[in-house]
Order: sequence, then C-alpha cells, then structure tokens
Amino acid sequence: MLIDIKNVYKIYNEGQESEVRALDGVSLRIDRGEFVAIIGASGSGKSTLMNILGCLDVPTYGDYSLDGTDVTELSDRELARIRNKEIGFIFQGYNLISALNAYENVELPLIYRGVSILKREDMVMEALEKVKMADRAQHKPSEMSGGQQQRVAIARAIAAKPPIIMADEPTGALDSRTGKHVLEILHTLHEEAGTTIILITHDNSIAATAHRIVRISDGRIVADSMNDADLQYSVAHEGGAGA
Amino acid sequence: MKLTQALKMAAKSISGNKGRSALTMLGVIIGLAAVIILVSYAQGQNLAMEKYYESMGENKLTVYAYAYNNDVDLAEELSNYCQQISDCVAGITPNEYVWDVNIQYGVQSLGQSNNSYGVSIGGGVYVTDSYNTRPQFYLANDQFGLCNNYTLAKGRELSYMDIKRLNHVCVLGAATADTLFGMVDPVGKEVTVNGLPFTVIGVYAPKGNGTTEYNENGDNWQEVEMSRMDRIVVFPYTLTRIFNGNQSISDFTVKAKDSKSAKEAATLIRAFLSGLVDMENGNGYADVYNEGVYREEENEANKLQQYFLGGIAAISLIVGGVGIMNIMLVTVTERTREIGIRKAIGAERGSIITQFLIEAAMICGIGGILGIIVGYLGTLIVGKLAFKIVLIPGVGITVGAFAISVALGIIFGIYPAAKASRLQPVDALRAD
Repeated sequence: MLIDIKNVYKIYNEGQESEVRALDGVSLRIDRGEFVAIIGASGSGKSTLMNILGCLDVPTYGDYSLDGTDVTELSDRELARIRNKEIGFIFQGYNLISALNAYENVELPLIYRGVSILKREDMVMEALEKVKMADRAQHKPSEMSGGQQQRVAIARAIAAKPPIIMADEPTGALDSRTGKHVLEILHTLHEEAGTTIILITHDNSIAATAHRIVRISDGRIVADSMNDADLQYSVAHEGGAGA
Repeated sequence: MKLTQALKMAAKSISGNKGRSALTMLGVIIGLAAVIILVSYAQGQNLAMEKYYESMGENKLTVYAYAYNNDVDLAEELSNYCQQISDCVAGITPNEYVWDVNIQYGVQSLGQSNNSYGVSIGGGVYVTDSYNTRPQFYLANDQFGLCNNYTLAKGRELSYMDIKRLNHVCVLGAATADTLFGMVDPVGKEVTVNGLPFTVIGVYAPKGNGTTEYNENGDNWQEVEMSRMDRIVVFPYTLTRIFNGNQSISDFTVKAKDSKSAKEAATLIRAFLSGLVDMENGNGYADVYNEGVYREEENEANKLQQYFLGGIAAISLIVGGVGIMNIMLVTVTERTREIGIRKAIGAERGSIITQFLIEAAMICGIGGILGIIVGYLGTLIVGKLAFKIVLIPGVGITVGAFAISVALGIIFGIYPAAKASRLQPVDALRAD
C-alpha cells in the first residue's frame, strides 16, 4: 500500500469554542498507480486532507504511512526529502516563484534534490516539452497566461518523476478548455508513467474522469467508490455543484 | 544544496526583484554615506584647526611688557634671559606691530595708517581697508621665522648683524611679495619704506593661499587668519626710531621647546619680568600668555561638536537600518509564500536560510560598497567646499560603518526567512 492513513484528525483551536474539525477521523488507503479524485464542497476538508497526504501539514492525531514509512515520526528535514522525491504538487494558484523564469522554476526541485547541472537541463526540457511549454522556457510567470503558468507548474511537479502527483483544484482558476488540457496531461502521465494521481476538486465533471472517487464532507469520508462506466456517465450528467 | 547553487539562487533572486533589491540597497547606501560624510566633516574641522595652530606656531608664548623708566631695555634683557633658560626656550623675538607704514616698489605701494586703515594698491589708489586685507608691519629679530613658524621661500632671514647695525632691510610675507613684485624676484630689490630706501633680503613661504585674494563669503576664519599671516613685512626691531616713534618694544613671542616646557618657561619669564618691571607702583606692566591653553580650550569645544556630529551619524545609521528593516518586513508576505513554495517542492530549512543569508549579504555588500563610494565622493566635496582641503574619510570609520550597516541588513534580511522557514509549508503558502 502506497498511502495508508488511519483515524486522522486535523483540529484547529482544539478545546475552545471556536474549535474546527477540518478532518474528523479520516481513514484512507491509496494503492500505487491509482487515479483518485477527492471531491467535496468548499470547507469540506479536502484541501486539508491533501496537505496532510502531501506532508505539507501534520495531522493533530492519527497515523500516516507513506510507502511503509511512518511519516508522523519524521523530522523536518526528512519530510522535505519526501516532498522532494516522492510527491509532485500542482496548486490551484500555480505557486510559481515570480522572480524566476519557467526553466528556473522547473529546475528548482531538481536543485534541491542535488541533480547535476547537465542532467538537470535534460530533465527540465523533457518536462517542459511534455506540457508543450519548451518554447516558453525563458519567460517569467508574469509573462504567461494562467493556463501556461499551470502547465509550467505541472512540469515542475513531474520534472523529477515522482511516484505521486497531488493536484489541488488544478483547473480551478482556468477556463474549461485549458482546464481540459491540464486534465489530459494528468491522464497521459497516469497512463504512460503509471504515476499515482490524487486530484482534489469540487467539480463532479472533473472528478468523473478519475478511476476512483472519494467524497468528503464535514471532514469525513462519506463515499468511496470505483468509477465504473455507468457511474461515470451518471456523474457526468448530474453536473452542477458537488456533494 | 551546494554553496555555488545557493549563490546562484541568491543572485537570481536579487536580479529577479530589482525594485526590492534597489530599495534595500538604498537604505544601506544612505546610512553608510551619511555616517562617513558626517564623521569626516568633524575630522575635517579638526584638521583645519590643527593646520591653523600649526601655522601660528606650536608652543608659543606671547609676552607683553613695558616699563615707563626707559633705562631698561626689555628686548635686550628678555633675549639674554631666554638664552639662560635655553633648556626650555627655543627662541625669542620682538613681535611689535607698527602703524603708519608705507612700502613702495615702482608704482606699486602698500600702506596702512593708524587713522584711516587705508590701503593703497598701485598709483596711490586707496581702497577700503579691513582687518582682512590690510598689510601687517612687524619689528622683529633674527628669530621671527622660528618663533612664528615661517619658512623661507627665497633669500634669507634677518640676521644678528642686521639688528646690530640697524640695516635697512626687510623680509616679506608671500602675499606682500606677490602684490608688490608680481612675477619679479623681490630678493635684492630696493623698496621705499616711509621715504627711505630698504633692501628686500627674503620672502617667506605662504601659509594661506599666498595672495591678497580674499573671498569675503567663502573662507572660514582659520583661512582668513592664515592668509593674514602672509600679508606681513618684517623689519629689524632696532629700527624702532623710524617706525615706532622710538618707543620701546613691548610685544614679544617666545617659542618653547615643547608644550611641557611652555608652562615652565611662562612661569620663569613671568617671574623674571616681575623683577624687572615695577608693576606694583604702576611703573609698567608685564604678562605672559600661553597659546597652548587656548588651544586646549578650543580642542574641548571641538570634542563636543564631534560628539554631536557622531550622534547625528549614529542616528542616520539607525535610520538606514530601519529603512532596510522596513523593506524586508514589507516583502515578508511575498517572501513567506516563496519559502512555502520552496519547502513544498523539497527545500530543507538549511538551504532556505543559506540562500536568504547569501542574498542579504550580497545586497548589503553591494549597497555597502556603493555607500562607501558615495560617502567618499561626498566627503571630498564637503572637504573642498568647507575646508578647501582634500578630505578623505578614515579607514576606521569606513570599515566600522560598513560592518554595522551590513550586519544590520543581514540580520533584518534573514529574520523573515528564519521565521517563515519554521512554519509548516501549508501555513507559509497561505500567507497573504
């Protein structure tokens, strides 16, 4: 099992009147090579779940084992290494560094990994070509459209070929056509490289493209099902807001 | 992450945020330049003072003495006594200022009268006189140059024989020579002094700018005093009959060996004079002034001013530091997000702090070097304008101010990084 979380809680202001249970006892197992959509309304706890799965945040209580390693026991340094080697992140707001151009942004995780400069060049260009942004390598984020920025962000996430890609509303800030293109890239990655994809969304139609759909509401998993053809069809026609 | 990588990353970050980098540098530049210029200004003022006192002559005693009974030749007696106490006295000269003298060479003449203070410059044309422009005529002996710190530019000083034989000779100050002779070499030339023929035997080197040019507004008082010292003519004191209505000499200048012996000499001479002049019955007067005492007082006043300027300099350094801090805090949100991103894609805390440390050091280092350049240029300009000298900031103040401003920049530069890198990546990413 690649990802295995058990009874994970994320509680803000615990014990006070303003206590918020962003995650309220979540257990989830994700296998290598899965394409999972985590769907939920805004405030349902889906982003909190992704942050914990991605080691960007620590749970208040609960266990998390990533590829057999107990993540909750790891030091800051070891967590940084896991984020660098195991996981590629794609954020709704792209999160590119504005002072750096596309090439330098994609190069960054490889630098932190200690990849040599010659190898880096090949890996960066390969990743940029995959998202069809090689011709924009020298452009800064401010000189690119939202869709282009998100493609650079995807290139950054896949450049080091991590086994897991986590995407938090990757199409949320994009128009439907560019959004579709971004999803296609994720699917290609899943099919060709066997990368495990965890996709966070509030949009049923996007979730419907996944192989497994986990529905989250008020910090709890309320549904977890394989997305067979019938369901895929029905979800696609329900449309509208999720959960 | 390797150091070269961190260096490259910091350089990219600086060039990628030109506005922010420039503003931060500006803080360092202003703080540093202000400190260097202000402290140098204070030092320049000291230098000007030093120069003035040096031109006046060091360890000088001014002796003022007269006796109504004319059987005492004070000049002779004092001169002899000073030879007896030669272990603390280096020289003595009469230093008698005389009025109503006119000196002429060809059509050029310089004069000064007790009544009009008038100066005629060429062809009997009178111009308005003032303390700052009129010539000074002195009666002295062969030690005038030694006692008043003049050096000869041409010819020779008055000699013992000139004094003994009442020779009609004179030594000119640099400005006097310039006005009367222009390009002509004055040594050996005959001039007319109050209608009598005199030979110029020597010219002193200038203490001020060596000419009679005087800029009413631009010069500070030390400059004025020093150029005044160039407008002199020195005659043998034994010619008192010609210049002084045959009155006895009452002003003397004594040069002591050093500042310690100046005090000793003052005491000895005072004692000697009180035995010679009958002051108690009002038959004369005698006193000795130690110039060094004024100088010490002046130094005290200067020190106060230096503390004051130093205080202003320290404030400007703090203001510069606060400027740097401001920029750093304003950009803290942006930087916190950046740190969140870097952490999310696998940067360790150490790499982030290293990068930010190098970045701050680079910005402050470059700003510091620019600040030193601006400070040096400013100091040169201030030195030229205020003191008319080539003023260069001291190494100590330069290095000290550089170190402090760079340290401030690095501390304030690294603070947000150190704080943000401690956050969970998700919290850093959320910053806005």
